[in-house]
Amino acid sequence: MGSQRIIGGGLGLSEAGPSTHHHHHVPSYGVLHGINTANPSTLINEGHAFNFGELEEAIVLQGVKARNDEGKAPLFTTAPRPAATLEMFPSWPIRFHQTSRGGSKSGGESTDSALSTKTEPPFEAESPMSKKATTPSLDHQHQLQHDHHDASRIVGPSSSPQNQSQAKSPHEKRKGAGSTSEKPLDAKTLRRLAQNREAARKSRLRKKAYVQQLESSRLKLTQLEQDLQRARSQGLFMDCGGVGGNLSSGGAMFDLEYGRWLEEEQRLMGELRNGVQAAVSEGEMRGIVDGYLSHYDELFRLKSVAAKSDVFHLINGMWTSQAERCFLWIGGFKPSDLITMLIQQLEPLAEQQIMGMYGLRHSSQQAEDALSQGLDQLQQSLVDTIAGGPIVDGVQQMVVAMGKLANLEGFVRQADNLRQQTLHQLCRLLTVRQAARCFIVIGEYYGRLRALSSLWASRPRETLMSDDNSCQTTTDLQMVHPSHHQNHFPSF
Amino acid sequence: MHYQTASWGNYVAASRNNGMVGVGVDPLERIERLASENAVVIFSISSCCMCHAIKRLFCGMGVNPAVHELDEDPLGKDLERALIRLLGTSSVVPVVFIGGKLIGTMDRVMACHINGTLVPLLKEAGALWL
Repeated sequence: MGSQRIIGGGLGLSEAGPSTHHHHHVPSYGVLHGINTANPSTLINEGHAFNFGELEEAIVLQGVKARNDEGKAPLFTTAPRPAATLEMFPSWPIRFHQTSRGGSKSGGESTDSALSTKTEPPFEAESPMSKKATTPSLDHQHQLQHDHHDASRIVGPSSSPQNQSQAKSPHEKRKGAGSTSEKPLDAKTLRRLAQNREAARKSRLRKKAYVQQLESSRLKLTQLEQDLQRARSQGLFMDCGGVGGNLSSGGAMFDLEYGRWLEEEQRLMGELRNGVQAAVSEGEMRGIVDGYLSHYDELFRLKSVAAKSDVFHLINGMWTSQAERCFLWIGGFKPSDLITMLIQQLEPLAEQQIMGMYGLRHSSQQAEDALSQGLDQLQQSLVDTIAGGPIVDGVQQMVVAMGKLANLEGFVRQADNLRQQTLHQLCRLLTVRQAARCFIVIGEYYGRLRALSSLWASRPRETLMSDDNSCQTTTDLQMVHPSHHQNHFPSF
Repeated sequence: MHYQTASWGNYVAASRNNGMVGVGVDPLERIERLASENAVVIFSISSCCMCHAIKRLFCGMGVNPAVHELDEDPLGKDLERALIRLLGTSSVVPVVFIGGKLIGTMDRVMACHINGTLVPLLKEAGALWL
């Protein structure tokens, strides 16, 4: 309706708050000033002009809601704009209305805001239009007043008489034109209020959209976390950028695979024990032993893959239990130590077998020494590369050091190769049943080392525990040591 | 010529003159010739740590291998290429010949040692007398 038109007009003016209207006011003042020099079209071209026209229409034509007033705007240009310009002084609309209704317009004008000044000209212009009472003398007087004021917005008292006479009629008109708004506010105020409402509405919408975005993102995040958790627990490593990017992903993947390998190893151990207890046929036992051996082959294959992506993870032994880590040698167990343990545990053995075992231990030791010395030389060479050289060669130094580090993979590979060969040779040296016992011993041995590690990790510490020390340890012992483990081992 | 590094004072090094440096010598032929010159021949690179490990292995067993450092040979690159073709792998050093026969790289040598076949081979080639 009428107020809507005003709002539309107000928005057309500017999107900013009232404070900026002062700036708008100055140029338009100049423009209107220019209109004195018979250039009415410039006013029309200003956005304000159309709004003024609409306002005028809405106010002047009581109850007639003219929608297409732009065309009528030119009519107003014929009106003595100089009279209108005098009204474009900063004033607060409400006060202006009150004061102008009361009497002197100048009093109101002096405190006008720029907003109201924009609405003023139409009101003023409307009177000339409706009255057609344009007196050149008035124009002249207004022009003089124009000359007196530059950019100042305060009207001198000299202008008041004319303004008063001019003011009354628009006010009467305005009073009559109650159709535009229920409240006695002028168009400028209405426009400003409308703009404020618009701005508030927009910001509310923005806030709502933002909050919705946040909520959906939060939901997505929790879903992703759940998926990841589920995938991890299922043993799948959802790894999109893992190969090229995150180095530790290779280590994490290996940890998962090693965990699965351990579970399978426990199952095979069970098979071995059953086979020995049930005294299965040689052929069947051979199958079980071969199965266990190839399970170890699988482990070495997994390790060679892991060595390519994260050799340090293998070398530092974080994939094994703490006790096993104690005896770590180039990323795994030391074959000669294992054979030493086996020679004791696998008694009684035939003479030939004992000789074979000692021979195996001897060759293994020689190979281990060779690899250890090679690794020592690598370390020494790396130290020389990193420590030596001027800072200028920093990048080159790093390149060389990187090349040397790459050799680590080769050493881990050879160490695993040695372990694999040792296990295969063990199988060749022993009979099938002896081999079965041998593997049971090996499985038991590392199982106990793992149990020891978990006991150690959960041991009561003086600072944390108070009175339940003894209770804690006994529960742990019961938890970690299943009885069947102890039953089998002493029989050998 | 006799060249030696500080850590290898005991072994006999292959002299460059024996290698017959010249145009037209097929690198594979040269390898074969070099390999047959000594009981144990190792083709190595002086800066390679795995080569150091294999040398230590043989020395620890009491063997004196003949070591050819490819990076110190003027035609080393050709030899390296020929070895790559021979072995089919890109990591070609160290390569071991025993009694003129190709044994292989560190992998094979260690496997042979563990399964007990290395020592008989060495004895056969005359590199070990125990």
